[in-house]
Amino acid sequence: MDAIHAEGLTKRYGATLALDRLDLSVQAGEVYGYLGPNGAGKTTTIRLLLGLHRATAGQASLFGLDAWGDSVAAHRHVAYVAGEPFLWPSLTSAETFDFLARVRGSDDPAYRDVLIERFRVDPDKKVRALSKGNRQKVQLVAAFASRADLLILDEPTSGLDPLMEVAFRETVHEAKERGQTIFLSSHILSEVEAVCDRVGILRGGRLVDEGTLQQLRHLSAHTVEVTFDGPTPQLPPLAGVAVAEAGESALRLEVTGALRPVLAALAELPVVALTSREPSLEEIFLHHYDATDGRVGG
Amino acid sequence: MGASAASAPVAAAVAATAPARGAAGAIARRAFLDGRVRTLSFAALFAFMAYVNVNGYEHSFPTLQDRLSFVRSFGSDASVKLFYGQPYDLLHVGGYVAWRVGGFGAIFAAAWGLLAAVRALRAEEDAGRWELLLAGAIDRRRAFVAVLAAIGGGAAVLWAGLWLGLVGGGLAAGGSAYLALAVVTQAFVFAGIGAVVSQVAPTRRIALELGMAVLAVAFVLRVVADTSSGAEWLRWATPLGWAEDLRAFAGPQPLVLLLPLAATGALLALAARIALRRDVGSGLLASRDRRAPRLGSLGSPTAQALRGERGSLIGWLVGVGLFALVIGVISTTFQTVRLPESVRRELARFGANVLTPSGILGFYFLFFVLAISLFACTQVVAARREEAGQQLETLLALPLGRRRWLAGRLAIAGGGAVVLALTAALLAWAGARSQGADVSLPDMLGAGANCLPTALLFLGLSALTFAAWPRATSGIAYGLVSLAFVWQLFGAALGVPAWLLGVSPFHHVGLVPAQPFKGLAAAIMLALAALALAGAMALFARRDLTGE
Repeated sequence: MDAIHAEGLTKRYGATLALDRLDLSVQAGEVYGYLGPNGAGKTTTIRLLLGLHRATAGQASLFGLDAWGDSVAAHRHVAYVAGEPFLWPSLTSAETFDFLARVRGSDDPAYRDVLIERFRVDPDKKVRALSKGNRQKVQLVAAFASRADLLILDEPTSGLDPLMEVAFRETVHEAKERGQTIFLSSHILSEVEAVCDRVGILRGGRLVDEGTLQQLRHLSAHTVEVTFDGPTPQLPPLAGVAVAEAGESALRLEVTGALRPVLAALAELPVVALTSREPSLEEIFLHHYDATDGRVGG
Repeated sequence: MGASAASAPVAAAVAATAPARGAAGAIARRAFLDGRVRTLSFAALFAFMAYVNVNGYEHSFPTLQDRLSFVRSFGSDASVKLFYGQPYDLLHVGGYVAWRVGGFGAIFAAAWGLLAAVRALRAEEDAGRWELLLAGAIDRRRAFVAVLAAIGGGAAVLWAGLWLGLVGGGLAAGGSAYLALAVVTQAFVFAGIGAVVSQVAPTRRIALELGMAVLAVAFVLRVVADTSSGAEWLRWATPLGWAEDLRAFAGPQPLVLLLPLAATGALLALAARIALRRDVGSGLLASRDRRAPRLGSLGSPTAQALRGERGSLIGWLVGVGLFALVIGVISTTFQTVRLPESVRRELARFGANVLTPSGILGFYFLFFVLAISLFACTQVVAARREEAGQQLETLLALPLGRRRWLAGRLAIAGGGAVVLALTAALLAWAGARSQGADVSLPDMLGAGANCLPTALLFLGLSALTFAAWPRATSGIAYGLVSLAFVWQLFGAALGVPAWLLGVSPFHHVGLVPAQPFKGLAAAIMLALAALALAGAMALFARRDLTGE
C-alpha cells in the first residue's frame, strides 16, 4: 500500500488554480523530494494531504486512509513539520515536545534526547525567545522523535545553518534505515539530491516531471567538455549535440542523444582532456522552468 | 469609507507634528489605517451616545419640576455616580449630557488611547515589524513621532464623532466642542500611558494588562472621589477626574486642561526616553526566556488552551468579582424619594424598580450579562488567534479531530461564563448582605444564572462567525454584542418601537432579582445558541484552515 496516494488532486482558491490534477504515489520506505519554486503548490499539496484544506476535486489518501474524511486515523501515522515554525510562544521547547507527544499519543523519549543533543536545542528556552531557525529545530525534533511512519516536511531546513543541515541529513538517513517514509518539500536542490530516492517537480500547480535522479538525468543533456592540443578544430554536424566555445582550445558539448557518435567524431581529433558529467538536479530543474520564460503560476 | 475618511486627519496630524518626510508619513498612515475600524467604531458609538442622550433628556424631563426631582433622587445616588461620575448641573440638557456621556465616554476614550498606543508601538515591535521599519531610512525618534501623529489623528476622529453627535442632538457648537475635548483628553493621557507600558512590557499582552490595571486604578479613584464624602480631593489624582473637573456645560474650568496636557507630555517624554535607550525587541521588564519545564495541563489541547488563557481568566474573575462586590455594597444607598412620573417612565424602560436593593442589583446585573457575553467573545477570538497564528495547523496534523478541538475551546468559554456568573452572584450577595440589605442567596444565584442564556447565545453567534468568516471573527463578535447592548440601552430614548428594540437579545433579559426570570425568552435564546453552536461545528469541520 502506498504511504501517499493522490489521484487528480485539484485545489482552487477563488480564481486561482493552486493545484491542477496531481497524481502522486509515494511508496512506504521511500524518501520523496517534492521540488518547486515558491508558489508552485507545494504547501497546498501538503495541506490537502493533511486534510487541513479540502480538495476541490480528486482524492488523496495516506496509508489507504482518506486524507480528508479519515484524517484523524491517518494522522496516527504522520508527523508534520510546517513551513513556518509557529509554535506556542509561552511554552518552552521541552513543554512543546511534551505537549505534542501527549496529543499524538506516542513518542520515543530516548531518541528525542539524542535529537535534542544533535540539533543543540535548549529545552528550557521559551519558544518566544527562539529565532526562526531554532524554532524550526524544535519542530524537527518533535517530528522525528515521534517515529511516525510518514514524515511530511515542508521546507524543513529553511533557516538552518550548515551544521544543522548536516544533522538534518543524518536524521533523514536514520529514519530511512528504520523504514520510515519521508515526503520532503523543498527548493534546496542539493538537499534533495543528497537524501531523496525519487523526485517530483512541480510547476504552476502541475507535476511536470517525476522519477529517480537517474531517470531524470537520462532525459536531460550530458555535458562533455573537450580540450584540444592547439586551436579548436571544426566538428562535423551531429544530431542532438549543441556545441559551444569554452576558451581558446576547448569546447563544451551538450549531448541529448547517444554519446557514441560524439566519441567517434572526437577520436579523429587531437584531444588532450575530456570530461563528461551528468546534469545536476539544478540543471534539470532550471531546464523545466526556462522552457516558459521562468514564469511560475499559482 | 475607512480610507478616505481616514486620510484627512492623519494628513493634518502628520503635517503638524512631523516634517512631511516620506518614511514618517508612511509609518503614520500605516498606523492610522491599522486602527481605522476601531477608531471609526468608537467615533460612531460616541456620536450615537451623544445624540441619544441629548434627545432623551428633553423627552424624559420636560419641565423644571421633573428636573429638580431627578437631581434630588437619581442624580445623587452613589450607584449611579459609580457609572456616570459626578454630575454638576442636571437642570440643563448640557450638564446632563456632560454627565451621562462624559463619564462613560472618558472611560471609552481612555481604553481607545491605550489600545491604539500599545497596538502601534508594542504589538508592532512584538511582530518584528518595528525592527524592519527602523532598519529603513528612519530613526527611532522620527518613527515614534510618526506613530504619535497617527494616534493624534485617531483622537481627532473620536472628537469629531462626539461633537457631531452633540451638535446633531441640538447642543451649542462651542460647548459641545469643549465637552468633546474633555472626553478626548483621556485618549491622550492613556495613549501616553500606553506608550510607557509599551516600553516597559516585553509583550503586547503584558503591556495591555499593565495599561488596563492603570485604567482600573484611575476608575476606582474616581468612583471613591465621587461617592464618598471627604474624598473629593482624590478627583485630582485620576485623569478620569480631570475630565469631570473640566465641567463642560456647568461652569467650565478650562485651566484644568493643563493637567492632562502636562501628564500626556510627561508620559510621552518618559516613553521616548526609554525607547531611545533600550534595545529594539525587548522591554524594561525582561521577559523570562528560560525556565524548568512545567508539564502540568499539557495533556490535551483543551488543557493547554486553558493554561494559555489562565491569566486572562483570572483578570476577568477579579474584575467581575470586585465590581459585583461594590455594587452589592452600594445597593442600599439609594434614597427613597418620590419620583416624578417622567422619571418613573425612564426607569421603567429598564424594567426595574430601582428604589430597592434588589431593584438596583437587577438593573446592574444587566451589565454582567454584557460583561459575560463579551467574555464569551474573547474566548472565540482566542481560538481564532490560535488558527491565525498557525498553531492550529500543527495541532490538527496530529491525530486530533477538528470538532474535538473546537468543542474544547467552546467548553472553556461556556465554563468560564458559568464561573463568572456564579462569582458575580455570590459577591454581589455578600456585598449587599454586609450592608444589611434584604437579598436572598437563591435570588442572587438566579440573577447570575440569568446572565447565561444571553452569554451563550453570543458565544454561539461568535463561534458561527468563526466557522463561516474566520477573518472577521473579532470584529463581528464584539460588534454584535456592543450594538445589541447600545441598542437596548439607548434605543428606548429614541422612541424606537418595542418590536424593533426586541431584535437585541438584551431586550429579553428579565432583570432578576427585581423582575421574574423570563423563562420563555431564555429558552429561545438557549435554543438559538444550540443551533448556532451546532452550525459552527458543522461549518468548521468543512472549511479550509485560514491564516492571518
